[in-house]
Amino acid sequence: MLPFILLKEGTDTSQGIPQLISNINACQVISEAVRTTLGPRGMDKLMVDSRGKATISNDGATILKLLDVVHPAAKTLVDIARSQDAEVGDGTTSVTLLAAEFLKQLKSYVEDGLHPQTIIRAFRTATNLAVSKTKEIAVSVKKDDKQEQRKLLEKCAATALNSKLIAGQKDFFAKMVVDAVMSLDELLPLKMIGIKKVQGGALEDSQLISGVAFKKTFSYAGFEMQPKRYENLKIALLNVELELKAEKDNAEVRVKSVEACGGSIQTSVGAMTEDTLGQCELFEEVQIGGERYNLFKGCPKAKTCTIILRGGAEQFTEETERSLHDAIMIVRRAIKNDSIVAGGGAIEMELSKYLRDYSRTIPGKQQLLIGAYAKALEIIPRQLCDNAGFDATNILNKLRAKHAQGGTWYGVDINNEDITDNFVACVWEPSIVRINALTAASEAACLILSVDETIKNPRGSVDGPPGGGRGRGRAHAH
Amino acid sequence: MALHVPKAPGFAQMLKDGAKHYSGLEEAIFRNIRACKELSQTTRTAYGPNGMNKMVINHLEKLFVTNDAATILRQLEVQHPAAKMIVMASHMQEQEVGDGTNFVLVFAGALLELAEDLLRMGLSVSEVIDGYEKACKKALEILPDCVCSSAKNLHDVTEATSLIRTAVMSKQYGNEDFLANLIAQACVSIFTESGSFNVDNVRVCKILGSGVTASTVLHGMVFKKEAEGDITSVKDAKIVIFSCPFDCMVTETKGTVLINNAKELMDFSKGEEDLMEAQVKAIKEAGANLVVTGGKVADVALHFANKYKLMVVRLNSKWDLRRLSKTVGAIVLPKMTAPTPEEMGHCDDVYLTELGDTQVVVFKHEKEDGAISTVVIRGSTDNLMDDIERAVDDGVNTFKVLVKDKRLVPGGGATEIELAEQITSYGASRDGLEQYGIKKFAEAFEALPRSLAENSGVNGKELISKLYSAHHEGNKNMGYDIEAEGPALKDMLESGIVEPYLVKYWGIKLATNAAVTVLRVDQIIMAKPSGGPKPPQGQKNFDEDD
Repeated sequence: MLPFILLKEGTDTSQGIPQLISNINACQVISEAVRTTLGPRGMDKLMVDSRGKATISNDGATILKLLDVVHPAAKTLVDIARSQDAEVGDGTTSVTLLAAEFLKQLKSYVEDGLHPQTIIRAFRTATNLAVSKTKEIAVSVKKDDKQEQRKLLEKCAATALNSKLIAGQKDFFAKMVVDAVMSLDELLPLKMIGIKKVQGGALEDSQLISGVAFKKTFSYAGFEMQPKRYENLKIALLNVELELKAEKDNAEVRVKSVEACGGSIQTSVGAMTEDTLGQCELFEEVQIGGERYNLFKGCPKAKTCTIILRGGAEQFTEETERSLHDAIMIVRRAIKNDSIVAGGGAIEMELSKYLRDYSRTIPGKQQLLIGAYAKALEIIPRQLCDNAGFDATNILNKLRAKHAQGGTWYGVDINNEDITDNFVACVWEPSIVRINALTAASEAACLILSVDETIKNPRGSVDGPPGGGRGRGRAHAH
Repeated sequence: MALHVPKAPGFAQMLKDGAKHYSGLEEAIFRNIRACKELSQTTRTAYGPNGMNKMVINHLEKLFVTNDAATILRQLEVQHPAAKMIVMASHMQEQEVGDGTNFVLVFAGALLELAEDLLRMGLSVSEVIDGYEKACKKALEILPDCVCSSAKNLHDVTEATSLIRTAVMSKQYGNEDFLANLIAQACVSIFTESGSFNVDNVRVCKILGSGVTASTVLHGMVFKKEAEGDITSVKDAKIVIFSCPFDCMVTETKGTVLINNAKELMDFSKGEEDLMEAQVKAIKEAGANLVVTGGKVADVALHFANKYKLMVVRLNSKWDLRRLSKTVGAIVLPKMTAPTPEEMGHCDDVYLTELGDTQVVVFKHEKEDGAISTVVIRGSTDNLMDDIERAVDDGVNTFKVLVKDKRLVPGGGATEIELAEQITSYGASRDGLEQYGIKKFAEAFEALPRSLAENSGVNGKELISKLYSAHHEGNKNMGYDIEAEGPALKDMLESGIVEPYLVKYWGIKLATNAAVTVLRVDQIIMAKPSGGPKPPQGQKNFDEDD
């Protein structure tokens, strides 16, 4: 009897528990890719795309984006890294690792025949518990004390930068980042911090301009003879959208004191002015690296700033820009929600202990599942140790013991192969990072667990709905 | 003359080369049934709260993770002609009611599977069809008797929540309380006193980041756009809406301006600028403090808007513009003129905020009765948010159905078993061969609670027998208890698991229709597919028999 086809030729379907297992395995592979970038001793990845452009990065979301994953289940992991980047800015590697580890721990239960829906329900409960516990033990720093807040922000920025390429200069950059963010207004728009890259020089030559800087030089006749430095001047910005982000500055800047041609034609307002005329304290043209830059400094209504990055290789400065972006996002989030937790795996160990204790009080399959969740959380400190070359089992044992005795904030000490109170050691991160990571990772894990069949349609022809390929059999792989 | 090669005798002789032709019981009917069975197997595991999701990648390489049968089918691009009938029935259910699409599939598949048994037993197709149709009519007659309660006050959020909960539960088990609450709030807020409810008035806005539990509902609208100018928030906004670009009026025809000397040149640009300023000033003086435009915003105009402290928002979509005008009560103006007070709209609070990474503009009404409400969905992946959007759609559709017909029937398989029992006894009372058809129809109903059970890992047969005995004793509302370990029953009315009457009504009707249509086919003739980018030739299903 001829087989018959239900779906188009070339459709690929697979169903059932084996499908679930294969999805979980795919996610493992993804996490292998980013595993070694976690933490201060994490390594970076060099990726070359199809056009031959090389990118060096430590940031999980960037790596995953460049990986161009096709496997559908693994794509979910890439998505959550992206969403973590969008929501918080940092912690993208952590979220990928967490999700993959959740799935790994559950693999054995799935193979044994436990229904995925039961697992999903238990997971949701566990996540809710973990999130509420995090909120409970997070420490909030009073916003009124500006000094305190500033120190807090600097520590958070330093922790975020710790795992990146520029960790060596993290204090320098942390201070710069906090200065930059503090100079923004209420809404904290990211666009108002411009980052300009100039090749040459060293990292330490990077500077923060509280104002605007851009590359174009004077572009009207006689500019050579114009004085390069003005003070207390009024500016008419002509026909310009002062987009600090874009390099397309078609700025024809004319200083009012020079009547070039017709007064203020078609004025339009830039980012730093509210009236027709803008003001700033200082305007000068300087040579930075091989380029000439115009700097507007000290604008009274300025809610903008620019960071000028110097550095060697192009990849280097790009990675620096990404790292600074992460740090800026972290500081912004910290300003908005001011509660922090200790980093270095401390919060994960604490949650793991809490969930393990909780699981002992409930009967049934839930106990096993919540226990698995707790165990999965330990991946973060474990990976931190592995990346640093420490003996993970040893350190984790010590951590578990310490947490059981009540040391809530104990985590991995990177500098001495030991454990330490990370709160005192000023390794802090905003609690929103961890909460979001947990939520996203658990949602991704639930999503992948809930799929028991994958159906892949063959790619349609370019001209729209494909015509051929009809048959009457169905290839069905059970 | 070349020797003519004789073709195979019979029908095929008359058709072009490459056409395929199948006829008769063995070839056509059984293959159809088998194809439909395969299709319903696929979606069977997605039925109910414990249903699993399917990951479907369509021909554009877009990924869908969902357990909504209609979505899965739409992306599947089913080729088999008979199976396509069932798919169409499912689509019709979606359009008519919005929910219950999987019910149609599972039921129709079961009907066909059991019909195969009858045909093998020796019944003729028309007898089976006859039996099915009679049984269907009887079922629809009995259905009103199964009604266990009705929705009393749909303006009440808590009541609406409990009603929508069941629909959402089958999509997003675990989140259903939270989501049902959101949807109920959204629906109730736009449900007017007169009782009209427009599904389009509940909008959905998806923003990446955070988790599902951070989703909220807003009275008003949310747009993923930024304000064009400097002003980012207005309280008590008077809104004027333009569909034209916020620009100086451009002449339609190409004009030439003759400039005689430098002074005229300077005056020229100045003139345009002054005109622009006058217009913006006029708008401001009419009382507006927020301008919404459907077209581009010129730099010059923006400058003046900022000068006069007008907030400017640009919306690209015409539909968004229309909906916004409905929400705030403004009239869309096609030309850049100063609005009259009647033409302006009002909104309590308009502000720019950042959710996740996205800047959004929020038009918010403090009072409850905005014309439109928006559900802001957060989620960690795009797929998840798409799925939640589908769940919201289902919830809203359920609400709409309830507005039309307030009656409720118990869920969890209770209605199905009740119908099965009554139809079986009806069948036993009939004489003639249709008796068999009617009995099998009743048996098909069992497929639904069985799927529910099997998706939870529970023995289906045990559950069915328990259900039958409970219903026989008269407990009409006993259905499958999801939470319990093993086959256990619970009173559906008490636990609040109820479905709208219309969902079941249309589901049964459409599924039976589809199954009967498939059974009526006994010959399939497929023309050779035309090559190239032309859309595919339609296949012809000839009803040779009628």
